[in-house]
Amino acid sequence: MSDTVVLTLATAPAHTLVADCIVADRFASLDARAIGELPVVHGGRRARLGDFFTVTGERSTSLRIEGDLERVEGVGTGMAGGEMLIAGNVGPDLGLAMEGGRIDVHGSAGENAGGARPGASRGMAGGEIVIRGDAGARAGAGARRGLIVVTGNAGPRTGRAMIAGTVVVFGSTAAGAGRFLKRGSIVALGAIECPATFRYACTYQPPHVPVLLRYLRARYGLAVEDRHIAGRYERHSGDLAELGKGEILHWVAE
Amino acid sequence: MKINGVAIDDTFAEAFTMRVARLIITGRNPKWARAAAVKLTGFATSVIGCKCEAGIERELPESATPDGRPGVSVLFLTMDKESLPQQLIVRIGQTVLTCPTTACFDGLPDVPDRLAVGKALRVFGDGFQASKVIGGKRYWRLPVMEGEFLVEETFGMQKGVGGGNFLILAGDVDAALAAAEAAVLAMTDLPGVILPFPGGVVRSGSKVGSKRYRNMIATTNDAFDPTLRAITESRVPAGVNSVLEIVLDGTDAPAIEAAMQAGIRAACRPGVQGITAGNYGGKLGPHHFHLRKIMA
Repeated sequence: MSDTVVLTLATAPAHTLVADCIVADRFASLDARAIGELPVVHGGRRARLGDFFTVTGERSTSLRIEGDLERVEGVGTGMAGGEMLIAGNVGPDLGLAMEGGRIDVHGSAGENAGGARPGASRGMAGGEIVIRGDAGARAGAGARRGLIVVTGNAGPRTGRAMIAGTVVVFGSTAAGAGRFLKRGSIVALGAIECPATFRYACTYQPPHVPVLLRYLRARYGLAVEDRHIAGRYERHSGDLAELGKGEILHWVAE
Repeated sequence: MKINGVAIDDTFAEAFTMRVARLIITGRNPKWARAAAVKLTGFATSVIGCKCEAGIERELPESATPDGRPGVSVLFLTMDKESLPQQLIVRIGQTVLTCPTTACFDGLPDVPDRLAVGKALRVFGDGFQASKVIGGKRYWRLPVMEGEFLVEETFGMQKGVGGGNFLILAGDVDAALAAAEAAVLAMTDLPGVILPFPGGVVRSGSKVGSKRYRNMIATTNDAFDPTLRAITESRVPAGVNSVLEIVLDGTDAPAIEAAMQAGIRAACRPGVQGITAGNYGGKLGPHHFHLRKIMA
């Protein structure tokens, strides 16, 4: 058993690499050899994780991945616990349908981070994903619970059809955010365009936002500004075409 | 033993095991946090009549609260597990929920025994309430006319200590009161301790039961009533004409001891003849705070 399992990208994938076997809590009972034998799909063909990554450490729920993972899909799929640090960019479907644990991306992430499996309506059901960069389209789509934080900009349809949970975007959020939202919150510190099916409620200081932002500052060391912690937010309720109990909280620059 | 010429009686304070919760109340400014805390801890001097004991533990700076606002830490104690959540739900619902700008957080987050206080309060939201999980803790957001009230879903409950005490025996009421005020000042803001009585001081110490009225749980502590010295089995020394008691509740025995030490030392001042403590012969309460040992 070691403190951390380290996966280092040794052979860059020539095609899309589906590596939904990279799940922090799954490594708890695996030695380095067994981790290397886990199945992946490279360009539609079966392969082993060890064909692309060198593995250091074993039997730990703490995982560090190094290298450019932009072509690697499905990292953290169904993750239920543990901690995963990705030192670089990562591809689509990060933390797909995850249920617990923490994923900390020191880079940008592709589409559908924390989203649902193909054909499923529910995305992540718990856990935290922090993306210290930009997020692709549909971050948090269909989320049932959990937290996604994007320190850069978020792509189109962020938080689409969320059932609950929270998405925080420090930068700007592209169009279509929150469409079909049932419950759940999108906290936008930057620019955001509310869908027409959202209705403005009021401008106030949501008391949980300071707790949330201070947590992000303390737990992840994110550069949260005091003006965001103490600031006022416009509350837009929606999606009124759905249940309407969701919200977009948009920080109001003083 | 004497401190500043004041005799320390060779006796002990006898205290009980209670159940305790710690609440952190925050507000827009210290005024509103304190306003809620004062109301919350009102009429909570003794379990004898109030069913709970509560008090302000200390004021907290912005850096020590979950939402970065000024706060007040409150301790809440009951004799049994069942009544603590009942008291908290009713009192928070009527005093903190109602108070402008306040939020209510758990001050014992690492304690495994959890009370579903916020979970019960959430129904005030009439279906419009929403929950958020932040750092593994669930919070409830209740819409109110002012904005939103935020309360943690559960609060920790642990064993605490209730009924630590010492008595100040003075030549007159002025000296007794001055000593009591000095003691309270010395104990204010010490962690893990509250003084549940008005101003931290009790003038009507009680004994268990009654010599005359069968249905009375507690009646005047006639042994320490100076006016009864001539007609009862008095323990009031000659020259003592006023006795005041300090009662302490806390999260654990070391916190009580530390506060008693600070309080007794401050109370040993001119006009005070002795310091003693109340007990029941050591047969009722498991916690015995020996004055001379504490002050050694």
